[in-house]
Amino acid sequence: MKSIEIAKKLEGVHTLATAAKSLNVKKSTAVKMLSILRKEGFVETSGGGKKPRLYKISPIRIVGKEHIGIYDLINKYSKVKLWEPYKHKVIDRELSVEEAIPMALSIAAKERNFRLVLAILGLFNHVKDWSKLGYYSKKYNMARRVGALYDVTRTIIKTRKMDNRTRKVLLKGKDKSKFIIKPHKPQYFKYIEKLWRVYIPFHISDLTRYKE
Amino acid sequence: MTDIKEQEDIFKLIGSSLKKKIECFVIGGSAMLYYKLKEATKDIDIVLLKESDRQYILKTMKALGYAERSSKILYVNKKNVPILLQRGQDRLDLFNRKIINLKFSDGMIDRVNLVYEYGNLTAKIASREDIIILKCATDRAGDRMDASNIIKSANINWNALFEESMNQMNLIGDVIPLNLYQFLLELKEDLQVEIPNEIIQKLETQCEKILTEKLKKGTTVRVTKYKTKKHL
Repeated sequence: MKSIEIAKKLEGVHTLATAAKSLNVKKSTAVKMLSILRKEGFVETSGGGKKPRLYKISPIRIVGKEHIGIYDLINKYSKVKLWEPYKHKVIDRELSVEEAIPMALSIAAKERNFRLVLAILGLFNHVKDWSKLGYYSKKYNMARRVGALYDVTRTIIKTRKMDNRTRKVLLKGKDKSKFIIKPHKPQYFKYIEKLWRVYIPFHISDLTRYKE
Repeated sequence: MTDIKEQEDIFKLIGSSLKKKIECFVIGGSAMLYYKLKEATKDIDIVLLKESDRQYILKTMKALGYAERSSKILYVNKKNVPILLQRGQDRLDLFNRKIINLKFSDGMIDRVNLVYEYGNLTAKIASREDIIILKCATDRAGDRMDASNIIKSANINWNALFEESMNQMNLIGDVIPLNLYQFLLELKEDLQVEIPNEIIQKLETQCEKILTEKLKKGTTVRVTKYKTKKHL
C-alpha cells in the first residue's frame, strides 16, 4: 500500500494500538509503517513518557521552513488549551509571545472566539520585552484591549509587572472598538473597563481554570 | 512556471514591502503547491476581499517591478477577470472576491485550514474542496488533472462540496451544481477517479429539480460549458 493511501486510511489521531487495529497488522508492522509515514511528512508525534504516544496523521503534508504558529504557542504556554481550527505557521521569523498576544486578540475579535481570549491571559506571564508588546499592540490596533486584559490577568494570576512606559503607550491606544468580543459586556471588572475604556467579556467564574 | 520555493520568495517579498497587514487567500495551483499536490504552477492566484486591498497590493507590486498585463489574453469573454501582473517568468493573478463565475464565499473563508504569515502578508490557503469547485469554474485544460490529483490524494468532504455548489448558485445565480455534476462525471468516466455514486446521484437529482423549476418559470440555462462551433 502506498504511503498516501495509508495516510488517508488513518487520517486523525492514533495510538500505536489503534493504528495497528485500523490497518489490521501486527504492532511491529504498524511501528514500521508509522515510521515511514513520519519520514514522508504525514505524521506529527506527541506525548511519550508517562503520557501515551500519539500519532497525528494527515494526508496533507506541510511544506516550507516555518516556525510555530499562534495556536502552538498558546498551547505551549497557557493553561487553557485550544483546538486548532487551522494550521497557523509563521515563515522566516519566530513568533514571540509579545506579538502573539495582540495577534491572537485580533483573531479572537474577528472570530468571536471567547476561549481564545481566555487562553491569551496565560501568555502575559511569559512576556519579557514590554516595549515590544506595546509596539505590536499598537500595530494590531489592540493597545487598550491588551492593557485591559493584562489588568484582568493581574487579578487572578501572579504576573510580572508591566513597566510604566508601556502602560502609558497602551493607555493612549486608538483602538477602533471598545469590545473584545462583540457584544459581550458582563461589566464585572468595572474599574478596569472604566480605566481602559474597553468591555471585558469575562465574569470572574470564567476564570476559575486559572485559579486551580 | 513557479515552484513552491519561488512562490514563498514572492510572498516574502510582498510581505516585507507592505506597510500594513493584508489578508489574502491563495487558490488554484498555488494552493495545491502547499499541499504538495503539484510541483509547479503557471501563475499565482490570489483573492482579496476588498478592492482597496487589491489596489494597495497592485501599487506595491508595481513598485517591485511587476508590470500589469491585459487579462483579455488569457480570459477571453469571461467576467470577473483578475488583474494580471508579470515580472520575468513570475505571473500573479489578483482577484477581488469574485472569481470568473464564482464568489469566494464566507463558507470558503471558514474552511481554510492552513494559514501562513509572511511579514505583513497573511496567506490563507483554500481548502481542497474549494480548490475543486474553483477548478470546476475555470475548467481549463489542466484543471481536470489537478482536480483528479486532489481527489486521489485526500479524503474529500463531498457534502461540503455539494453545499458550496448550492450556496454559489444562491450567490451568483448560475446553475453551479450542474457544472459540478458535469465536471465530476467527466472525472469519473474519463480519468477513472473514484467519486462516490451517492454524490453524483445527489447532484443529478438536485439539478433535475432546479431545471424543472427553471422550465416552469420559462427561463433556460446553458447546459454545456463548452462553446459549440455555432457559437464560435
